[in-house]
Amino acid sequence: MENRKHPVQKLMDNPWLLLVLGVVIPTISYTLWGLLELANTPVARLP
Amino acid sequence: MSLAAPPRDWFKAPTGFERSWIGIALVWCLILFMAMPYWHFRGRQNSTGEAYTVTASAFLDRTNAFVAAYKVGEDHGVAVVEPPPGSDVYMVAQMWRFWPILKLKKDQTYRVHLSSLDLNHGLSIQPMNMNFQVLPGYDHVLTITPTSTGIFPVICNEFCGVGHHSMTGRILVE
Repeated sequence: MENRKHPVQKLMDNPWLLLVLGVVIPTISYTLWGLLELANTPVARLP
Repeated sequence: MSLAAPPRDWFKAPTGFERSWIGIALVWCLILFMAMPYWHFRGRQNSTGEAYTVTASAFLDRTNAFVAAYKVGEDHGVAVVEPPPGSDVYMVAQMWRFWPILKLKKDQTYRVHLSSLDLNHGLSIQPMNMNFQVLPGYDHVLTITPTSTGIFPVICNEFCGVGHHSMTGRILVE
């Protein structure tokens, strides 16, 4: 009974998981997305 | 570090007013989040993100050809260019000027190509305060339709060095 912690408490009590999430989520949604955009930008035709 | 450790089961699911306010804050967050795409389409003042890679020399050559083709005068030594409606228009940003001065027609659509010859500049069209990034190596295309006539000063709003404050340009709409 005493081991049934609320899921939010499990998350908040795990600083290493929070650190990983805090690095991985912005890396994927910001840095990698941006790099993919740059890599896929076509060359200007300058009409 | 706190003086006393929190109790082992510190989390209590929110109830009552706390739960209501969390719900209100969440709804407000979603409203503000949706306001961004809403204003993108309704406000019609944002870039669609159309961009291409380009070299500074290729962009400068194309702008020189554009100015030579459509130049109608000069203002304090800066070329004034009147391109035909619907055409591709070129504007260069460099330390520390926007060049050339554009002369456009009201209610006509143009494709304005922006690029920088040196470093990051910001195109800020006043007094509407419409702001766009101008990056070296990228051709940022803005499809614009001026809806009012007048003289619209352009200023740089990305700090670009000792002459940043003097980096201005102009768009004329008739």
